[in-house]
Amino acid sequence: MYPPSLVVTFTKKSSVKMAKLTSLFVILLSFFCISEAVFEDQVGKFDWRQQYVGKTLFAHFESNTQSSKKMFVATDKNIFASFNSRTGDLLWRHVDKTGPEGTIDILLLHGQDALMVVGDGRLLRSWDTNIGGLNWEVVLDTGSFQAACFVAIQDTVKLVAVLKKAAISLHYLSNGHQKWVENLPDSDAVQYQAVYSGGEEEVYVLGVVPNSHLTIIAYSLEDGEIIKQRSVEASWLSSVESSCVVVGQGVLMCVDPATLALYTLPIQAEETPEFSQILLQVLYLSPTVSPGFQPVLVSSQPHPARSPLSEFFLQLGPDHHVLLQLNADGYTIAPLRDFQPAFLVSFATTGKKTVAAVMTPKNETVSRHRVVSFINYTAVSKPRWLSPLPFPLQACAINLFSVDSGRRLLDTTVLFPLEPNGGKPHMLYVHAFLKKDDSVGYRVLVQTQDHALTFIQQPGRVVWTREEALADVVTMEMVDLPLTGTQAELEGEFGKKAGKEHGLFPMVLKRLSSQVTLLQAWLAHLWKLFYEARKPRSQVKNEVTIETLSRDEFNLQKMMVMVTASGKLFGIDSKSGSILWKHYLENVQPNAAFKLIVQRTTAHFPHPPQCTLLIKDKDTGLATLHVFNPIFGRKSHIALPALPRPILQSLLLPVIDQDYAKVLLLVDDQYKVTAFPSTKNVLQQLQEMASSIFFYLIRSEHGNLSGFRLRKDLSTERIWEVVLPTEVQKIVAVKGKRPNEHVHSQGRVMGDRSVLYKYLNPNLLAVVTESTDAHPERAFVGVFLVDGVTGRIIHEAVQRKARGPVHFVHSENWVVYEYWNTKSRRNEFSVLELFEGTELYNSTVFSSLDRPHLPQVLQQTYIFPSPITTMEATLTEKGITSRHLLVGLPSGAILSLPKMFLDPRRPEVVTEHSREENLIPYAPEMPIRTEWFINYNQTVARVKGIYTAPSGLESTCLVVAYGLDIYQTRVYPSKQFDVLKDDYDYVLISSVLFALFFATMISKRLAQVKLLNRAWR
Amino acid sequence: MATPGGQGGGALSTRGGARRMKWALELTLGNARGRGDRQSNQGDVMYPIGYSDKPVPDTSIQESDKNLVEKRCWDVALGPLKQIPMNLFIMYMSGNTISIFPIMMVCMMAWRPIQALMSMSATFKLLENSNQQWLQGLVYSVGNLLGSALAIYKCQSMGLLPTHSSDWLAFIEPPVRMEIMGGGMVL
Repeated sequence: MYPPSLVVTFTKKSSVKMAKLTSLFVILLSFFCISEAVFEDQVGKFDWRQQYVGKTLFAHFESNTQSSKKMFVATDKNIFASFNSRTGDLLWRHVDKTGPEGTIDILLLHGQDALMVVGDGRLLRSWDTNIGGLNWEVVLDTGSFQAACFVAIQDTVKLVAVLKKAAISLHYLSNGHQKWVENLPDSDAVQYQAVYSGGEEEVYVLGVVPNSHLTIIAYSLEDGEIIKQRSVEASWLSSVESSCVVVGQGVLMCVDPATLALYTLPIQAEETPEFSQILLQVLYLSPTVSPGFQPVLVSSQPHPARSPLSEFFLQLGPDHHVLLQLNADGYTIAPLRDFQPAFLVSFATTGKKTVAAVMTPKNETVSRHRVVSFINYTAVSKPRWLSPLPFPLQACAINLFSVDSGRRLLDTTVLFPLEPNGGKPHMLYVHAFLKKDDSVGYRVLVQTQDHALTFIQQPGRVVWTREEALADVVTMEMVDLPLTGTQAELEGEFGKKAGKEHGLFPMVLKRLSSQVTLLQAWLAHLWKLFYEARKPRSQVKNEVTIETLSRDEFNLQKMMVMVTASGKLFGIDSKSGSILWKHYLENVQPNAAFKLIVQRTTAHFPHPPQCTLLIKDKDTGLATLHVFNPIFGRKSHIALPALPRPILQSLLLPVIDQDYAKVLLLVDDQYKVTAFPSTKNVLQQLQEMASSIFFYLIRSEHGNLSGFRLRKDLSTERIWEVVLPTEVQKIVAVKGKRPNEHVHSQGRVMGDRSVLYKYLNPNLLAVVTESTDAHPERAFVGVFLVDGVTGRIIHEAVQRKARGPVHFVHSENWVVYEYWNTKSRRNEFSVLELFEGTELYNSTVFSSLDRPHLPQVLQQTYIFPSPITTMEATLTEKGITSRHLLVGLPSGAILSLPKMFLDPRRPEVVTEHSREENLIPYAPEMPIRTEWFINYNQTVARVKGIYTAPSGLESTCLVVAYGLDIYQTRVYPSKQFDVLKDDYDYVLISSVLFALFFATMISKRLAQVKLLNRAWR
Repeated sequence: MATPGGQGGGALSTRGGARRMKWALELTLGNARGRGDRQSNQGDVMYPIGYSDKPVPDTSIQESDKNLVEKRCWDVALGPLKQIPMNLFIMYMSGNTISIFPIMMVCMMAWRPIQALMSMSATFKLLENSNQQWLQGLVYSVGNLLGSALAIYKCQSMGLLPTHSSDWLAFIEPPVRMEIMGGGMVL
């Protein structure tokens, strides 16, 4: 370990050298303390980045040839991206604004152009799909987007029609110029929902007055004149969008779930003012549509210049599809094939041929149990197919069917393996192509409920899988890897349990045997090295699997446990970034709150490590616990406590039970506490120390902070309450200190070599409020430092003319926060540091209940030249290494900002003492140096959070930045003082040593000979 | 110092020719060469063996010798004290920066008095003959102590002595936490 006194001496030395060159001081100092940037040959050595796009909404394949490699997706994260379909790698990606402004409403693909409507009809964009460049972009008129389609003139697609709530506009595909725009008649009453063009001279707009009538308007392509307009009585129809499609030669096909009937209406024809009804019974279809299920029609229009196919799918239940054909007369329907069970269906067209891909469960048992699954399906279920099937499904089969006849095409079966802990298939995108022998081949992209994309080739080979759930990581933890068997054995030898019941002799034997096993392991390692050295380098693969996972020498490799918003958990190896396990939790609400707790680390061999995920349903307030082993991802079979009441918060105690698991307290809405695990031992311990267990709760909507003390019977009493009036300000965030944070130095050394002791209150909370008044003159940001045990407000700092969002870090004895200054219109960093003074009040114990003196608070503010998205502080094993702030910028860079720049003791006037202390003179501007970017050119899009974890090396801190992308690296805030450099010249040093050694030997011999000769003379 | 016998008539002389003999005593007169020849030429005075016509210095202990010893002993005893002004000058010149030369100097300054104090018995042997042995010993040790005090002062002014609370900061254990606290925003 690095002796801290040495640091002091060296810094002193440097400071005096710089005494006279005050202007050079900062520059020299920064050279002296930081050079963060990586070298070119270190790129990718300790870091990796994974890019994601999010949950796919629209997916298209490039062209219908076998050799095409591109596919395009638009996602719920407002991203338009292209994948290489052979590898699953991103070819290019466009990240738009978050929120509704960047929402992709629709993605249409025609040839080389991808058309996109963005931001609820705000913009129309055309992209070149080859290189991902923007062809053009036009701003559309206001009004919410309804539908869009390509419009062809004389068999060539030249236009795109965009239907808005009150207007329809046509744009040229080539340059985006508007051909015409027309207001829709009577748009207040009529909800226009669909636009259709089948290659004729007109474009049709379909609107509905719910439960009254349907309106069809035909516009002339030339000038936008209304050619015809008519309304058809349809009292059963509530939405065109959800229950109608256009099939065949412009026939509108609608389904009515109430009467279980299909309705047809020719759109173009003038003479039929009525829908013609076809009851499903007539078609000999099972009339038992599962209760609560809305039948869905699926049709396909292979080419915009031609009318849609006359074949279409009718989905009658979650796993019941029927392929139907509209006969040429336009009234009658012929059933082609009944698919039951069938989860997903999709049309695909290649050349002249159109096929239907149908996904069916592979197991024979499915059909037997189908009834059961139907019963489970209730009206309150999600619109998606979410009802868990009561049997484990191993695989699904996908088959191609000829659309014309409903006949199954031979040799088209593709198996889709379902993971035991994965999601069910959700969407099917088929890429069909003609093989050389003119038969239809296909590849298929399956999207599962856990947002994973799987690309499968015939015959059932999984080409790649993308875990798109990782685009929305909510929380994460890093867990140490377990020791290897031999390490664990040694550990066991010196463990607590060993040696108590054994005598001296067995201990010696055990020691010897463990040494032998160590020797064996070492020899095996050597043999492996030797064996691998003979192989060419390309063949040697260091594949990480769960079996080979073990802690490395410096504990630099850890398991990243990531919790995503979709409810899928991942275990990722921090060294390589490979996903080692995944577990999908099926019944997780989209807006659920997660809290991940490490209850037992790997340090307690042979007890397995244990993580607990607290999932709280926002609607009901009820919480569930998911207990799992973070190394293998397996669910632990531990008796979970019953949680009948909504859970407000949880609290992890440093108390451990007899199995070394930390005790988790769950506080419910009656302020009763449930302990987990709740063995007798734990309850007894809790009773003993109940009076020293406190917790605080913050209700943002009431502006209420309250503190509670635990009673012996596990009920609580409120001991303090602070109310911040919600009409003035609202509590935005609160942060305590990280429980695994170590502070090595209890004070700061002043220039006169006295000590300014830090106010290290482990119970301190930083509460940030924002004013409800957003006016730039009256807006403010408040930072309250509150003692969580007593409720005492230690300090309050109010930043006037400031606005959020506030990002802040609370660590050691300081709080750093960033806000927007509305007066000067710039981002500012402010730092608060708390000191106890030159005397310690009580150096042995810290009790919030016995602290008569308030700390001294120092504050300074700096201008930061960029907005930020997130902020975190580095963390090391012992806290000796200086701290850096890791700042995520909107540009995707992660800045490692030395904390010494954010020091409220930076002097305005340089004095002897401040120089002695190495304080940088105060400058309001905070620099951003490019070498501080720890992720060089590996930008991390939309950084949402940064997680830091200590490693076994004091100098090294592991960093994971997550957002849309995931980036993992290591940082060395005080440089690598405890390891040899990467490029350390072992050869040179050892050769010099050997040379010196031999030189000494030889010269010694020579000297002896010479002495002997002289004696003989 | 010339030996008295060397000037004697039958004196002793070296014979250049003889290789094996380093010296020889010639008892016969006449064929003596060198100075003896000249003396015999000047006057044939026979002196007995070992006679010298020059006065032999008085080698008996006299009062002045005593003083000399005393003086010498005082020199030894005052040596460390005499070095102090010199040390002060060097101290002033070297300044309070911490670099290799001032450090070496301080080490020397500190080490020499300590070394001297460690070899106190040898010094006492030197001072054995003096009457004021104890006083001189005292002065000697005081001088050395002063020298080391000076070195310590130098260390102090250079900031090498752990005299401040900041020097013991690294050894302060973090205080034990009395309360356990947790919680947060209502989930």
